[in-house]
Amino acid sequence: MIEAIIALLAGMSSVFLAYYLAALGHAIVEKSGILNLAIDGIFVLSIAVAYAEAVYTNNNILASLLLTAIVAALFGILLAFLVTKFPISHGAAGLSMMFLGYGLASLVGLPARNLQGSIKGLEIGYTIDINNPVWIAVYIIIILIGLGALFFINKTKIGAAIRAAGEDPAAAEALGVNVLMVRLFAGALGFALIGLGGAVFELAYVQVWSEGTGMGHGWLAFAISLSAGRHPLLLILSSSVFAGLVKYMTTIQAMYNIPTDLAKMLPFVAAILAMVIFMATPLRRRLAPPKSLGKIYFREERTV
Amino acid sequence: MVIVRRVKPLPYWIVPVLALVVGLLISMIILYVMSGGVITPYDILLSIYYGFTNVGLLAKTFALLVIVGIGLLVSFKGAIWNIGGEGQFYMGVMLAAWVALFSGFAFNGFIAKTMMILMALLAGGFWALLAALPRAYLNIDEVPVTLMMNYIAYYIVNYITIGEWREKQYGYYRTVTIPESTMFQVIDGTTITLELLILMITIFILVWLMFKYTSLGLRIKVLSSNPNLLRSSGISVQLTILMALLLSGMIIGMAGAAYLGSVSHNISYPVEEKTPGYGYTGILVAWLSMLELIAVPIAAYIIGALHTAGINIQIMGVGGAAVVNVFIGSILLTYAVLITISEYKIKIIVKKR
Repeated sequence: MIEAIIALLAGMSSVFLAYYLAALGHAIVEKSGILNLAIDGIFVLSIAVAYAEAVYTNNNILASLLLTAIVAALFGILLAFLVTKFPISHGAAGLSMMFLGYGLASLVGLPARNLQGSIKGLEIGYTIDINNPVWIAVYIIIILIGLGALFFINKTKIGAAIRAAGEDPAAAEALGVNVLMVRLFAGALGFALIGLGGAVFELAYVQVWSEGTGMGHGWLAFAISLSAGRHPLLLILSSSVFAGLVKYMTTIQAMYNIPTDLAKMLPFVAAILAMVIFMATPLRRRLAPPKSLGKIYFREERTV
Repeated sequence: MVIVRRVKPLPYWIVPVLALVVGLLISMIILYVMSGGVITPYDILLSIYYGFTNVGLLAKTFALLVIVGIGLLVSFKGAIWNIGGEGQFYMGVMLAAWVALFSGFAFNGFIAKTMMILMALLAGGFWALLAALPRAYLNIDEVPVTLMMNYIAYYIVNYITIGEWREKQYGYYRTVTIPESTMFQVIDGTTITLELLILMITIFILVWLMFKYTSLGLRIKVLSSNPNLLRSSGISVQLTILMALLLSGMIIGMAGAAYLGSVSHNISYPVEEKTPGYGYTGILVAWLSMLELIAVPIAAYIIGALHTAGINIQIMGVGGAAVVNVFIGSILLTYAVLITISEYKIKIIVKKR
């Protein structure tokens, strides 16, 4: 019995880490008041970048992770800059970046896949499973990151500034917080984490690439983050549920004889249910979203 | 850099036109750089030219995009961002296929086609309602919900396509082709079908009438500008949200029936790869029209041409649905940024010390 549980835990560790990083990054971005609808596009793009870099560097995992984080962070900075500097809708900017992410992902991934096809025996990725003790480290890392993020958001000066920018940017600005800089930082950090999540998803879990790989999983991370109220430790719980669901979908499907396509649907149904449960119960008041999330903050308006 | 409010807003067509030009320029640069020089700006311009002039190829895309665009416009007018067009569209396709293949109405073309459109309308509306209920009563952001409903819809249609409805004779991954009597009737000398044309014009007129003369139309418009006004005048905000999304889903569902009857004639597996993506491209149509109904056909024509151009460039070898997505993304992003200049002036002030 215990062996079975350990095997289960080891098997889902890679997906778990991927979802946790992406959901945590998303939570940090939204804590600063930026409504992040670009998440799925950037997640898909990160997957493609991680894949392509791994193919080009002959499976250099570190380079792949690093490049993906940088690319994603650049998009985070762009989004943060646009919605803070200009009076434009967060939703519109985020959604357009989602489409851009989808498009760029195919452009990045396809040549790399053609190259991989032409080189015999080139396989990418780093498998984390029961035979690789790294899986224990993954769980420890997740808990450490969770505690670190909790400390960072609640106890440090920059964390307080991020929360202030999300709750009431105008008041924060009056108290001497540079909202633009804070959001740029939160955007870069958050999107770098989303990018890392995508890279882990590709390198440790999927390990192949075809057009559209990972589409929809960014939205799962969105739902994971929302249903945990963007709390770094609760995120561990909700991302583990979804990681288990996604990883063992095929097992569940075989056990109960569910057709593949219906099984693929399950995580999305669960994601919507999780959001509904969160919003319909007192949890919503306990872990309320930042007050200015997605609201247009336009500094120059005051000077007119 | 200082941004100040304009005294007089710019004429409303300037922003979409600028967004198109700048967005296309950005996509050209992206495609040129990312493809390592394989896709040159010249190729893109040539494809776009081909897209704009090849009216025959464009016609059905245009008509379907007009319908989907109008459907999205109905919800966007109320600041309800229905991104679930794909799901509503495919629910419509599925129910229309059921009518054509299994309902037994196929003996009479007229009844069958009417039923196809009606069932698709109900299906699309139902699918939108599922996202509208949590939006109205629990205030859950409709964007992620409608988007995830797309995937759920894809997988349901996938399941039924290669399950119950699968074409058994050759074992292809698709349903049987719908009976001749239920196919929409092609107008001689064009690629567009009569029913699609009628549907497009009817929906256009009905929605125009709704926004012009009915209180529902007004309520949806007020919903976006001032929901508190609705509340204080005793009108249910929740109900208005439900209606906006329901109508939106119904119209897009009908586009699904028209797509099955005029273009695809069957459902191919897996739909998430075979989809023409009108639910997403329609967003671009609705936005570029500046939410003006009259401008929807113009926007649909332009976007339809770009859609055709995108498919053309794909045939040249780089990127699958990628090129269309790059177009959509960069035009929308430019549009979202440029919309500020219609109400604000951007002044660059050099600080003197």
